[in-house]
Amino acid sequence: MVKATDVSLIYHDHEREVFACRDINIEIKEGEFVGILGPSGSGKSSLLYLLSGLKNPTLGEIRINGTLLGNLSDVERASMRIQKFGFVFQQPYLLGYLSAIENVLTVNPKLIDRAKSLLDDLGLSEKMNRHPHELSGGERQRVCVARALINSPEVIFADEPTAALDHDNGIHVVEMLNRHRKNGSLVMVTHDPTMIEKADRTLVISNGTIAGM
Amino acid sequence: MPRFAHPLSPTVFLRRNAGKTVPLIAVISLAVMLVQSIIALINSIPLSIQTIYRYTDRFLGVSPRLDPTLTAVFVKDLTTNPPVELERVILCRGSGAQVKSIVGKWPFAVMGFEKDDLEYYLKRQGYKGIIGRRPIDGEPEMMVSTPVAKNLHVQIGDILLKPDDTDNFSRHPVKLVGIIQCDRWMMVSNKKYFANTQPIPIDFALIFAKNPTEQTKYDIWAKKKMKGKFAQLFSYSEIEKESKQMFEVLYKIIDAVIGILVIVISIMMGMLMNIYQSQRLVEFGLLQAIGHTKRQLFKRVLSESVIVIVGGWFFGLIFARLMLMLLKAQLMDPQGFALDVGDPMAMSYTAPVPISILLIAFGTIWLRFRKFDPVAVVERRIV
Repeated sequence: MVKATDVSLIYHDHEREVFACRDINIEIKEGEFVGILGPSGSGKSSLLYLLSGLKNPTLGEIRINGTLLGNLSDVERASMRIQKFGFVFQQPYLLGYLSAIENVLTVNPKLIDRAKSLLDDLGLSEKMNRHPHELSGGERQRVCVARALINSPEVIFADEPTAALDHDNGIHVVEMLNRHRKNGSLVMVTHDPTMIEKADRTLVISNGTIAGM
Repeated sequence: MPRFAHPLSPTVFLRRNAGKTVPLIAVISLAVMLVQSIIALINSIPLSIQTIYRYTDRFLGVSPRLDPTLTAVFVKDLTTNPPVELERVILCRGSGAQVKSIVGKWPFAVMGFEKDDLEYYLKRQGYKGIIGRRPIDGEPEMMVSTPVAKNLHVQIGDILLKPDDTDNFSRHPVKLVGIIQCDRWMMVSNKKYFANTQPIPIDFALIFAKNPTEQTKYDIWAKKKMKGKFAQLFSYSEIEKESKQMFEVLYKIIDAVIGILVIVISIMMGMLMNIYQSQRLVEFGLLQAIGHTKRQLFKRVLSESVIVIVGGWFFGLIFARLMLMLLKAQLMDPQGFALDVGDPMAMSYTAPVPISILLIAFGTIWLRFRKFDPVAVVERRIV
């Protein structure tokens, strides 16, 4: 599904090379729930952005279903992201001038019934026409979950989706992501081990390298 | 089932963010309105002058200098082998009066006709009727057309020419006895009164081409023919040319003013749009991260800008027209002044406003998207 081989991401900080990720080798299989655990600044988010094609590796290669990500144009990569991937970010980013359901439809405006059904399943049936400022933080993140799921993605990338929520709401969001992903893989970055208790496997990242599995 | 517009359509953003959209449209509208109104009002000066003297496009006027007997000689010259067929030559007497224009008082001819000539002249000018009556031969009486009556605020019974008025002089007080219903400016009296009261017997010749559309052709021919002779010619084409020359420098100044205005407004709008786009970085970053291409986002933002700019231009043209209509009704028409509310030149002067704003908006948005990194947004490095 997603395979990273000898991947490194290097930043230049005042002529000094800083490894955000170093020599990462990882394979995410179809339907797998992989947790990426690590302290703040360990490089776990960078790894997520590399795997999802939002960033280019400085060294190594990433393949999606055998396709080398580095060979794809920006447009092809964007097309892959919108069709095959779903994203949930740390902050529940929503467009303030759109209602909950319209935010979900920004990924695919044709899937109105699916958007309704997802919002219904996520407990937002009464609030799908409300705007983000009328929703709580947990509700907003659930809208983001619905947006990530609308296209039935092959892989969902979640970058600390519970960071802005209290523990109970966080657990609830992770449960919903896990329940609704169907056969899709879920790659979730977090610094809270309780959030990925149901993961098929967990990678521990430290100083940009995989320190343990 | 409720219907959903595409959530990312430009109109959805513009409608839902009216607080930002309306001020942008309003600023562009005001700029367009300002430019169009200034140009239309400036144009009203030569337009009013041309309107005042438009009656001269129906004939060529010839008056002799120094020697009154030359009129007959000139008429013979000007009716021999003309380039167009001529219909009539009228010998009249004239006196001077003044009318009010936007730029002060302007001289205007009071022409004294014989009875038959007056009828021909009025018909030639396209009059629709007379309120009151025609002047009686030899009596100090005159008629003016509707716009002259408006301009001078006079009515039947008023005295228009007086012995003690140097601008509107006559040996006896000349009374207004009739209003000619016609859009053209005219002041007419009877030839006999002027002949009896003027010490020097100078006849003016008015030469009419058979086809009014050929009058200019005849005027040009006559001007060449009379070159170097003691004759003064009056033709509409000359008045038109002179009024244009008169305002040539003014138009150059106006061009510079409008140019500066367009530059200032465009830079201002570009900066305003840049501020608005900066406030939407999270939106652009999020949409790009979830898979929308830069090109799609650029196209969308550009479409929004085009709608705002073209909308502002359109409303500006409408507002300007409404304001000019109001000015025309309240300020210009009561004085008999001309104002073209749909002045095509004024409208064309507004075109650089939307074009330059569009170019600056295009450049600003393009620069914004060129190096935009969505990861910076989702990682909260720029929020």
